[in-house]
Amino acid sequence: MQGMILLGILVSTCLMVIAKRMPSLIRSFRLQSFCLFLATFIIALGEHRPDLYIVAGLLFALKVLLIPHLLYRIIKKINTNEDLGLFINPQLSLLLILVFTYLSWVFTVYFIAPGDQTQISTLSIAFLIVLAGIFLMIFRMTALAQIIGLLVMENGLFLLAATVSGGMPFFVEIAIFFDIFVSVIIMGFFVYRINKFFTHIDVNKLSRLKG
Amino acid sequence: MQIFFILGIPVFLAAMSFLVKKQKAVGILNCLGYLAVLPLSAAVFKKTAVSGGTVSFFNFIYLDGLSAFFILVTSVVAFAAALYSVGYIQKDLDKGIISGKKARAYYSLFNLFCLAMFFVPSVNNLGMLWVAIEMTTLISAFLVGFYNTKESVEAAWKYIIICSVGIIFALLGTILFSYAFSRTGLSKSLNWSDMAPVAHIMDKNILKIAFLFILAGYGTKAGLAPMHTWLPDAHSQAVAPISALLSGVLLKTSLYAILRFGIIVIKGAGFAYFGHLMVLLGLISLAVSCGFILVQKDLKRLLAYSSIEHVGIISLGFGLGAPLAVAGALLHVFNHAAAKSLMFFGAGNIVSAYKKHNMNAIRGVLKALPFTGIMVLMGVFALTGFPPFALFVSEIMIIIAAFTGSAYLAAGLLLLFLAVIFGAFIYHFGRMLFGNLPKGMVSAGEPLSGKLAFLFLFFLVCVSGAAAVFFKKDLIWIAQNLFPG
Repeated sequence: MQGMILLGILVSTCLMVIAKRMPSLIRSFRLQSFCLFLATFIIALGEHRPDLYIVAGLLFALKVLLIPHLLYRIIKKINTNEDLGLFINPQLSLLLILVFTYLSWVFTVYFIAPGDQTQISTLSIAFLIVLAGIFLMIFRMTALAQIIGLLVMENGLFLLAATVSGGMPFFVEIAIFFDIFVSVIIMGFFVYRINKFFTHIDVNKLSRLKG
Repeated sequence: MQIFFILGIPVFLAAMSFLVKKQKAVGILNCLGYLAVLPLSAAVFKKTAVSGGTVSFFNFIYLDGLSAFFILVTSVVAFAAALYSVGYIQKDLDKGIISGKKARAYYSLFNLFCLAMFFVPSVNNLGMLWVAIEMTTLISAFLVGFYNTKESVEAAWKYIIICSVGIIFALLGTILFSYAFSRTGLSKSLNWSDMAPVAHIMDKNILKIAFLFILAGYGTKAGLAPMHTWLPDAHSQAVAPISALLSGVLLKTSLYAILRFGIIVIKGAGFAYFGHLMVLLGLISLAVSCGFILVQKDLKRLLAYSSIEHVGIISLGFGLGAPLAVAGALLHVFNHAAAKSLMFFGAGNIVSAYKKHNMNAIRGVLKALPFTGIMVLMGVFALTGFPPFALFVSEIMIIIAAFTGSAYLAAGLLLLFLAVIFGAFIYHFGRMLFGNLPKGMVSAGEPLSGKLAFLFLFFLVCVSGAAAVFFKKDLIWIAQNLFPG
């Protein structure tokens, strides 16, 4: 079961980097968050920990329902071109993700050196997701894609924290969720503003401030 | 106990900014509130500097000399900024640049921003530290994009995105720290007061890797080059009192986070690793800022790059690690906060009188704004480390420590960059301050509250250097306690 979920996370990450349009990117993000939710929920069932139920519930409510919904709404409202503005085409992106997978495996095995095999694979996937998030932020030039990249990085960290130390302390986890939700709202607000002032959300063209 | 008042006053003031109808009353209430915070934070500092670290409120709050010092710096700049805001916001209101509703939003955001910055040094849990620092970013993004122009929105976007990514790395580092801690098999916690005492039995390699992430993450927020790219944009576009807070305190709170993790790394993996990284980043920051200061055309960006320079000096001081250097770096945190706030207030007055950021279009400030002009002139000398001002004392402490610790290369480079930056500052400000007024320019009045803010900061810049010479022994004792060994 755990293997299936990890596979789901991996596949959704790959889907994200080959996505060409905004809605498919959001859909894959939703899938990834759902896999994370499943993983947390299963652990909660196994260990009967009420705090984990709450964390799983929040994860589901925020990252599967609320945030994707917000992002869809922004797309609809600003009525802009839904293309992501790819700097690197999907084929090459997928190839890079393969390289990233290998690199994060190397990093995990040689630097972190956890004990068992499942931990190694979970950790390398966590690092891969963080890298994929950075990749999305750098090579997809719309403001919305950058928000998703940030959220993807955060998903990776959630997995990482859950694997290495059994999750953050409960109230820190709650505070981080709150923080992420607020940051998505604020970033969404600025996306509106950018769209209003510049009539596009291509951050590559934001170059009035220099030197 | 005082800490609850320090955290409570900004909350109260934020609520007041919605309840009280008159703008001016809100501003004055703000000043009084932060005036009350000032002695409270001094009391906290006095208590903790002697007694060492104390944990309170269900392990939630941890205060020691280091955190109390940063609270003190925050309260000083917050008070000055509150004082300056009264006149500044009133002027914007009179000119019709902002509406009354917006002024109210300004005051509530100002207080929330200060609350988040008071929170950073007082929390015990390293995860909450992360949340607090991310909160400072989110709140101040609105204050950077406050004027709603193309430039300010662009600056706010870059600020929020670059800092958020940076800070995600910091969270990664934090998780790795907690991993290193949980591997010792003691307990599972993110509390600094639990982690620091057992740092010496943590896995060295994991600590080293984790610290790299911390340095990349919080270093972004602290404005250390090469992760500084958001800084000149945000500082130049923010409202003037907020620029002072950003540069004077926000960068320092991130440095505080780096130091907190640094102390664990020093205990766990030896001083050399921490020291080399800090010295390296400090020198890179100095070099980068030096280049940009020389060719700068925009007044507020010039000051922003100067902040990168001073953060570089501070990080160099901590990296050298000798008690004298650490004491100098701590003192420099305070001095830079005071001097840079003074300069940003001056720049705010100049920009609002000339309506331009471009230094080529600004001439004859001493004639147009006599009081601001004199203060800025003094501020330039203070900021570039001219005796008898306080920054001279803190910089000379770091330089002496570098020479006696036989870090000749670092000391030589520091002196070189300081000399070049001194020349550049004198050149830029000499052209702006002296000379004839541009045509059609009439000298405008300067509000009283702004003048008081200038005098307060100027007093600090003059006095704190002399005070440091008198209390040198105490300062070095605090520094020794900070970095044992």
